[in-house]
Amino acid sequence: MTSRSEIINLDQVDHGRCRSWPFFQDYCVTCALCAGSCPASGIDGFDPRMLVRMVSLGLVEELVEARWPWICTLCGKCENVCPMEIDIADLVRKIRSLRDREKVPGILYKGLAAALETGNNLRLPKEDFIFIIEDVAEEVAEEPGFEEFKAPVDKKGANLLTTIHNKLVNTHTEDLKHWWKIFHAAQEDWTVTSEHWEGTSWGYFTGDDAAMKVMAGRIVEQMEQLEIKNLLWPE
Amino acid sequence: MGNKNVLIIGGGTAGLSAAVELVNLDIHVDLVEKSDFLGGHAIGYTCKATRNTCVKCGACMVEEKLKDTILHPKIKIWTGSRVQEVSKNGRFTAKIHCKPKYIDPHKCTNCRICFDKCPVDGAILHGFSKNNIPFYAINEELCLYLKDKSCGLCRDECPETAINLDPKATEYIKEADAVLVAAGFHPFNPEDKPYGYHRFQNVITSLDLERMLKQVGRVKRPSDATIPERIAFIQCVGSRDSKLNHLWCSKVCCGSALRMARLLKERQPDIDISFFYIDVQTFGKDFEQFYKDVQEEVRMIRAIPGDIYETDRQKLKINFLDNNTHETLEEIFDLVVLSIGITPGKDNGEIAELLHLKLADSGFFKSGAEEASAPNTGIFSAGTISGAMSIPETIASAGKAARQIVKYFRANDS
Repeated sequence: MTSRSEIINLDQVDHGRCRSWPFFQDYCVTCALCAGSCPASGIDGFDPRMLVRMVSLGLVEELVEARWPWICTLCGKCENVCPMEIDIADLVRKIRSLRDREKVPGILYKGLAAALETGNNLRLPKEDFIFIIEDVAEEVAEEPGFEEFKAPVDKKGANLLTTIHNKLVNTHTEDLKHWWKIFHAAQEDWTVTSEHWEGTSWGYFTGDDAAMKVMAGRIVEQMEQLEIKNLLWPE
Repeated sequence: MGNKNVLIIGGGTAGLSAAVELVNLDIHVDLVEKSDFLGGHAIGYTCKATRNTCVKCGACMVEEKLKDTILHPKIKIWTGSRVQEVSKNGRFTAKIHCKPKYIDPHKCTNCRICFDKCPVDGAILHGFSKNNIPFYAINEELCLYLKDKSCGLCRDECPETAINLDPKATEYIKEADAVLVAAGFHPFNPEDKPYGYHRFQNVITSLDLERMLKQVGRVKRPSDATIPERIAFIQCVGSRDSKLNHLWCSKVCCGSALRMARLLKERQPDIDISFFYIDVQTFGKDFEQFYKDVQEEVRMIRAIPGDIYETDRQKLKINFLDNNTHETLEEIFDLVVLSIGITPGKDNGEIAELLHLKLADSGFFKSGAEEASAPNTGIFSAGTISGAMSIPETIASAGKAARQIVKYFRANDS
């Protein structure tokens, strides 16, 4: 970020433009606690305070085109510290929602399309998913104290349904084991589903409410089909 | 007015100032203070004069008011006391509860032997002004004698036999023609902010720094008594905060913190000072020049940091966004001073109930022409009980309250 004028076109300042957005951005006292707390601030000049102010000033096009809103991880620490209770993460999500879908960063755009088509961001076929789950479950069962371990798939009437982050059946299969060992130790009656197991909602991260609704709806549907009351939905 | 008596609740800047004004008008005063010492928070504040020039912070004026009050024959001082009941039937009748008087003010010479001999840290307290007589007090929560009678050193060692550890609490009924509420403010407790106050020894409040400068005149790190090379001031801690329901600016913190920063630069010029702020809120005709000057000595950063972490040798790591470069910086400081806000007094609810008044939504008393000073109730208010004020403003509000009281007496006598 070299010069502010590259981002802000002062001719486009319009204080009233975003007033109806329900995130309280106009209450900002520009204290910069958000920027001082944000784990991503400073990356490519990302500055949450400036983002909030730009919304107040109605500089929507600049923000929609900028890379900034996509640097944010939506972790929400800014909201947590904001003394004026501004919904900064929701504001970022709103800005993301205004970008043409084709211009959404590639991995998110393609991943979401894959999830809507196939039920998961990786286009991982059902057989492969079951194979991976069983394979990792066997590895767990080889460890002392877990000899009886099994990973139940599509278990009707289980107490708890857990979704799976796609990287846990891709590059981070070891991380599956931590969850599972806890379930085992707690004697939890749990299950995963063989379809629509995806817990990562890129509809949420791209500001696409319709896609988010589809993804959430599928999880609810499966809970109904399998008669499960409780959901663990780790991101 | 020689037969009139006013009950003042609170012995800080407002209560003392009002007492002085009232006795000048030949009105008697009962001054009730819950703590062991008069002077409130401000009696611990340091003079902030630099280059031999007064900056009108008002700290010395509190000392003056205390001096004028303490021996005045028309002012009855009730320290360690609380007003418990107030009724009005023509005049006011108040019940005053006084905790036991362990140290006899007529015998005590402020020799400090009790303070030095006491084996428990904090069991004997001291004030901030030697004009308080006695300058020392027994802390009932920590004293071993009051706990299990296992110690009596202070009493045994006192050369004036001024200490008695067995007296009882007392209660008195006093009549008054008017009541002045001047119970002051509560300094914001920043423990819940992400700055590690009370967890990191070298994170202190502006109030701690005031007292340090008043008592020893120099700043040192609490952890090891070394002189800090780099100090950070963080403004607006507990002020302008919707989450806390503290939407107000505390008004005095920018001025007092910058004046202390400048005082430090004058006395200890090698100290490097960074000042984290939202926007500098200051008042007074001389401030513009002062602010220009101070910016040459203090690094001003228009951003409030998010987190503080403790590092080697109890130094403090601060993350903040640099306003000019939009880079996130991580810097190490030796001492951090939190400028804590003025918040409603902890007893406000109780006092309001006592007097059948309603507090404002903020938790402060309603001010000015509002409820506490409404005509014909005979109840008045002064100082920070109704919101943030500087020392000079507090003294002025006390003067105003005294005039309102006189008008009230005149109107009701005729």
